[in-house]
Amino acid sequence: MDYATVDGRVRVLENVALRVKKGEIIGVVGESGSGKTTLGLAIIGLLDSPPADIIDGSIVFEGHDMRKMNPVEISRFRGTGIGMVFQESLAALNPVYKTEAQLRESIEVLRKAQKLDLTPSTEANMMIEILKDLRLDKPEVVLRKYPHELSGGMRQRISIAMAIVEKPRLLILDEVTTGLDVYIQNRMLNILKDLNRRTGTTMILITHDLTVASQICDKLYVMYAGRLMEEGKSEDVINAPIHPYTQKLMAAIPQGFIDSPPLPAPTGEAPDLRRLPTGCKFHPRCPFVMDKCAQNEPPPLELADGRRVSCWLVEKK
Amino acid sequence: MSNIVEADNLTVTFRARGGGSFLFERGSRMINAVDNASFRVREGESFGLAGETGSGKSTIARVLVGLYRPRSGSIKLLGKEINFRRKEDIAYLRRNVGIVFQDPVGSLNPRSKVREIFAEALLASKAFARRDFGSRIETMIEIVGLRKSSIEAYPRELSGGEKQRVSLARALVVPRKLLVLDEPTSSLDVSIQAQVLNTLRKLKSELQLSFLFITHDINVIKYMSNSLGILYYGKLVEVGKTVDVVTNPKHPYTKKLMANVPNLKRAERKQEVLSEQGPAPTGCIYSKVCPEAFEKCVNPPPMFSLGSDRFAACHLYDGNGTRKEQLRSHPAG
Repeated sequence: MDYATVDGRVRVLENVALRVKKGEIIGVVGESGSGKTTLGLAIIGLLDSPPADIIDGSIVFEGHDMRKMNPVEISRFRGTGIGMVFQESLAALNPVYKTEAQLRESIEVLRKAQKLDLTPSTEANMMIEILKDLRLDKPEVVLRKYPHELSGGMRQRISIAMAIVEKPRLLILDEVTTGLDVYIQNRMLNILKDLNRRTGTTMILITHDLTVASQICDKLYVMYAGRLMEEGKSEDVINAPIHPYTQKLMAAIPQGFIDSPPLPAPTGEAPDLRRLPTGCKFHPRCPFVMDKCAQNEPPPLELADGRRVSCWLVEKK
Repeated sequence: MSNIVEADNLTVTFRARGGGSFLFERGSRMINAVDNASFRVREGESFGLAGETGSGKSTIARVLVGLYRPRSGSIKLLGKEINFRRKEDIAYLRRNVGIVFQDPVGSLNPRSKVREIFAEALLASKAFARRDFGSRIETMIEIVGLRKSSIEAYPRELSGGEKQRVSLARALVVPRKLLVLDEPTSSLDVSIQAQVLNTLRKLKSELQLSFLFITHDINVIKYMSNSLGILYYGKLVEVGKTVDVVTNPKHPYTKKLMANVPNLKRAERKQEVLSEQGPAPTGCIYSKVCPEAFEKCVNPPPMFSLGSDRFAACHLYDGNGTRKEQLRSHPAG
């Protein structure tokens, strides 16, 4: 996958380049408004145009340039090629359908795409298997439930089940653990990692939570104001963050007890995309800001081991 | 040090409507959202309540501002026992206790400007004369770190962090003794969460507040509380100084909880995860999934005192703790 610059009237993404290898889990980390969901939607081709418009760049999936395809061709990839799971599980599920009907819809997509001959009992087995895979207790009971009868963690797994039953080769997960408490969150992450190991499904995990991303991702991309600030292997980024934004993001996570000093949180808030600062977009909040930072935007600088950082400090070293 | 809140054997019951399980008659199931919980919030301290979704954390928060009435047990606020059937007592609670909810969007009236939101709280309390409203509002805006211009803003014009600061300022616009914070930063980005947590700690010392801090995030509660209570399906299973509970958990559930705290530097996750199985219907509520369960656990354990303000509701501590007799006001279930 390559450059995607998406424009509404505001520039939401600028010069974002991701490369996802088969079987990898990559994490896209950023705070609200950093453009991470837009990126996910752009990859699966779900951005409504208008208002969104990809000005430049390409999205290449398995050698096919998605931007050169017509909607019919794209829809052939959607679901069975690329699947996406959204944050709002309650909104993503049809409230008047039982789990069974929701899953059957997805199986239908798979059946048509791969021209499978499925008997009702095979379909039922597939559903039960997938729910078992997602470690849902009593799958037979869950199949007969409406979304509102399920807990948040269960609903989120139903949305994941709907995506993975189509056996996508790439799964985009947008904030799938947000709003779940830590214990359910851990469970979800284990399930995803397990799924990745067993089936080799490639995953893009979009989250605002660096801790979540660090648990299962091989590679991390840190986004801010529609730009990539830093990327690299998970353990490298976590153990030695280079970009001041990544450093601040990590320092903001409380670690100590009540007698520990105030958190070194970055001051201010993420910029409004309609009124972006000049130069480096993080410079107004950066503790190491130099004159240069307000004038020019730093280009991504390639370091060892697939590490890239967009910061003028790095050039100096 | 005196106690701001003394809660003893607090039990809150809800009637579950419809869809009762096979054991119960349809529509007549009673659920103990909070079951026999006893805890203290000391003056100038922050008491944390941690637990999973549905463990009864928010129910306790709501009792403290008089939104729910306990079925049994007692609550003392500043030494005064609250009779939840008396209007004056509820008013007394609300005068002294401020509350901040998780969802800043849902808790602010979208059609009122920030100034009006504060004025409403001030009018209800009668603590300030009307001519002093303006200066009081300005003071609060400044204390919580909001821009002056936000006074004339509508909630939608503010960011998530700013909205939560408005909720915070509203809770404190009338001077309070106790602030109940129910997941106050769970909907915020980490960098904004850090700013709000810093502000809360600053306010606590500047305004000599006590906190009841509720969250499922152990990293946050560790950073924000002096003492900590762990809730599991409405049951307070362990209480103690935060540093003790976090570093040396006693109750098997607390042990599991602490092992699940997400840590940035931990490369490989522990495979062991918390079970989603519900509470045990009889005996110790955790006995169904407890790795250390034994014969005694068929009976509900009392709270055992383990010294230095440490309590655990677990039969493992029968021998080395002193039994703290509990009044079981009604049978479980």
